Amino acid sequence: MERTPKALKVLTWLTSAVFIVALYLVLIWAPQEAIMGDVQRVFYFHVAAGWVGALAFLVTAIVGGIYLARGEQRWDRIAVASVEIGVVFTFINIVTGSIWARPIWNTWWTWDPRLVTATIMLLIYIAYIMLRQGIEDPDRRARFGAVYGIVGFISVPITFASIRIFRTIHPVVVGSSDPTALGAFDMNAEMRVAFFFSLFTFTLIYITLLWYRLRLQQQKEKIEERKLTALSS
Amino acid sequence: MMFQEGPADTLNYMIAGYAVILGTIGLYIVNIILRFRSLRQDEALLDEIEAGQA
Repeated sequence: MERTPKALKVLTWLTSAVFIVALYLVLIWAPQEAIMGDVQRVFYFHVAAGWVGALAFLVTAIVGGIYLARGEQRWDRIAVASVEIGVVFTFINIVTGSIWARPIWNTWWTWDPRLVTATIMLLIYIAYIMLRQGIEDPDRRARFGAVYGIVGFISVPITFASIRIFRTIHPVVVGSSDPTALGAFDMNAEMRVAFFFSLFTFTLIYITLLWYRLRLQQQKEKIEERKLTALSS
Repeated sequence: MMFQEGPADTLNYMIAGYAVILGTIGLYIVNIILRFRSLRQDEALLDEIEAGQA
């Protein structure tokens, strides 16, 4: 098995260090929100996780398009790796949102447009992973994944825009906020630093995980090829 | 929360939120490590089979 590249090792250490700094910023450095109290601190990583989910699904759609144009398997590898990471972070986004909602909205769950569209988006990409596993032929599987990744991406801008175009109680923290939203707040300078640093940290985490996940996919394909050769000889 | 005097005591929810975040990311990393380990075992087995055939 190939050794871990030095650049990936450096990136892993850098990401770990940046993550520790981000934890310090959101848990200690950023001030406590005046009304919601400590639960507001969940917001920093909640939004960052949602951002990684959207970014991962965008990458899947882009590499899907490239795969359809060029037909090279490496683009499909990136797509499947990216979807898996996107699903993990979208899950974090939804669950942390629910935990935040309990003391602020007085409920774990409500059928709000943002919550519904985010959950549908998560289910769409879980289905992507499950449906892929049912296709044996690698070319057909990659073609299916590419088309699904592009069409499925429609759910991402809908989820993003849902709190801006529908009547909702979900706060819009970045951009104009509806005063009727429950849990809306204005970020001060420290909060803004913690927020944007969290976005940067989670982007680094995404890149690092994607690199590892890609290497895993490459190794898996090599082993499968060797297994087929061993069986046929 | 409309007539409260200070910030609400929501520390437990914050702890739960961060437990979910750190736990889920941690589990995913462990999952990737285990998949790498499983591939390494498969590779060692294939090496053995190929050495036996040679």
